[in-house]
Amino acid sequence: MADQLIPDLEEPTSLSAVPAEERSARSPVARIAARAGLVVLKRSVLLATLLAVVFIGVELLPGDAASATSERGESTADVDRRRETLGLDRPVLERFWDWMSGLPTGDLGTSAQGEHVTGLLTSAFPNTLVLSGSALLLTAALSLSLASGAALRPGGRLDRIVTGMSTAVFAVPEFVVAVVLVLVLSLWTGWLPAVTLTDGDGSPASWTMLVLPALALTVPQTGWNTRIARAALADEARAPYVEAAVLDGLSPRRVVLLHVLPGALPTIATGLATSSGVLLGGAVAVETIFNHPGIGAVLASAIADRDTPVIAGVTVLAGAAISVVLLMADLLRDLLTVGQR
Amino acid sequence: MKPLTGRRGGSSPKTQRRWSPTAVLLRVLPAAALVALALAGPWITPHAVDEPVTAPFAEAGGGALLGGDQLGRDVLSRVLAGGRELVLSALLIAAVVTAAAAVIGAIGALRPTVGRVVERAADVLILLPAVLGIMLVALSWPGGGRLAVAAAAIVLGLPYAVRLVTHAAAPVAASGYVEAATAGGERLWFLVVRDVLPNLRATLLALLGLRFVEAVYVVSMAGFLQVGPQPPAADWALMIRENSPGILLNPWAVLAPSIAVGLLALSVNLAAAALVPQTGRKAVTLL
Repeated sequence: MADQLIPDLEEPTSLSAVPAEERSARSPVARIAARAGLVVLKRSVLLATLLAVVFIGVELLPGDAASATSERGESTADVDRRRETLGLDRPVLERFWDWMSGLPTGDLGTSAQGEHVTGLLTSAFPNTLVLSGSALLLTAALSLSLASGAALRPGGRLDRIVTGMSTAVFAVPEFVVAVVLVLVLSLWTGWLPAVTLTDGDGSPASWTMLVLPALALTVPQTGWNTRIARAALADEARAPYVEAAVLDGLSPRRVVLLHVLPGALPTIATGLATSSGVLLGGAVAVETIFNHPGIGAVLASAIADRDTPVIAGVTVLAGAAISVVLLMADLLRDLLTVGQR
Repeated sequence: MKPLTGRRGGSSPKTQRRWSPTAVLLRVLPAAALVALALAGPWITPHAVDEPVTAPFAEAGGGALLGGDQLGRDVLSRVLAGGRELVLSALLIAAVVTAAAAVIGAIGALRPTVGRVVERAADVLILLPAVLGIMLVALSWPGGGRLAVAAAAIVLGLPYAVRLVTHAAAPVAASGYVEAATAGGERLWFLVVRDVLPNLRATLLALLGLRFVEAVYVVSMAGFLQVGPQPPAADWALMIRENSPGILLNPWAVLAPSIAVGLLALSVNLAAAALVPQTGRKAVTLL
């Protein structure tokens, strides 16, 4: 949630570097392509920086994978030997280079238990992506309809309820929402399964097992995104062309959906994109409650084994997934604002 | 135009909803009461928190008002005792982040280079889910415990807080009297402490509340994932994790700490929302 309280709603600065006359001289397609290339480059650089920060941060802290996995009564020589096997005695820069250069080929390094991190995560990460992805879609649909409904009658009953509820729920941790949902929708009413069972291939056995975990992730995020969407709609409602549409006698529903909403979409998309990190993080806790076969389970055993390389590997994948979502929000914003530039 | 301009989003102060001091107090009161209860909780437990008084997952009744947990310890006592450290570490995190963000953010507004560095740092950190960041720090720092969680929460939360203060401080830094003071050769530290920060009191108070909300979330998440407090400590998030296998036998063992965490997050959040400055439109949109 760290990224949430202050979403990145500012305009990116990269475009302003290109002089206006140069921009207008090119065709719109070329302009969009160049702009998209810039945005992709920016996101890649940011992701690479994050990975460097993570690697160095883990290095700077006391303790390494070898000492963390040591068992009681193990001699210093044994720990040293494992440190050698894991390659931890080599210079930091050399190991960092190995790790980073392995990433493009899909090699996430070796866990403290000597397994390939990539192998540990390949079956689990898609399940987590499906879970948080469906939660993101559900969040988008819910927050857009709630905020548009509230914007139809500003200050009305629905607006007050939506505003109040969305403020209230966004800070409640996902695992608390999950517990309440399990009690109500599963144990007391018996409507939905409380635990995820897996098929032979390691994915959930039935889609109904996705409903409760996805809902637990969706509730707080819907609260947050409804607030952003509501504020963006209110901002957009003050634009002159909206006033013109109202004076033309269009119905409020038409004005909100066709005139206010499109202008507010870039802001809403950015808000939703910042949710993706929280959704991935929350998924870890929610998966633990529902026994969902995602990275949550892998991380839980990694915590028990004090296995930092696994967590660094998950960080790489999460960072990449979030980069993609943020990139899509960037591109959407460019596409929607292209006429205004 | 009238039906579409919400008073929530209106730019002129007239259309903003203003809280009277009583209304703010009413919204802050539940949070304050709950925090006080969590802090005083360990002194008013009816039973010892670490000794079995009933059968494991015993139903509510008899000596244990909310039944027993997975080892038969009194759920009520553990709920009463399990909030103090959560609240204290959340308060610590919120205070440190707000104080540091205030100083760095004010400097960032006065010195654009610092501001740009902070922007980039926030851009990078948005790619790291807080849960993963805390796991990384807690595991790479054996024996760090709550301190490791707090340190991680501070580092991860700081860039966003600084960015907020920088945005809020930018108009102040551009104002005439700060320019005059700069031209008069005042030192940076003097400008930050005497000229910029006193004008940001409302923003900083709101930031403190929001960082507390955020810290409650992060610390309880760490507890739930068992990277912070370790068993047999009484901790709300840890209780939810430990007792969830017995949710059918004694729902209260899971529900009571869940309600405690949920109520704390909810009430503190509403209190923070009431403290958000109501004058600037930008502050409302951003927060």
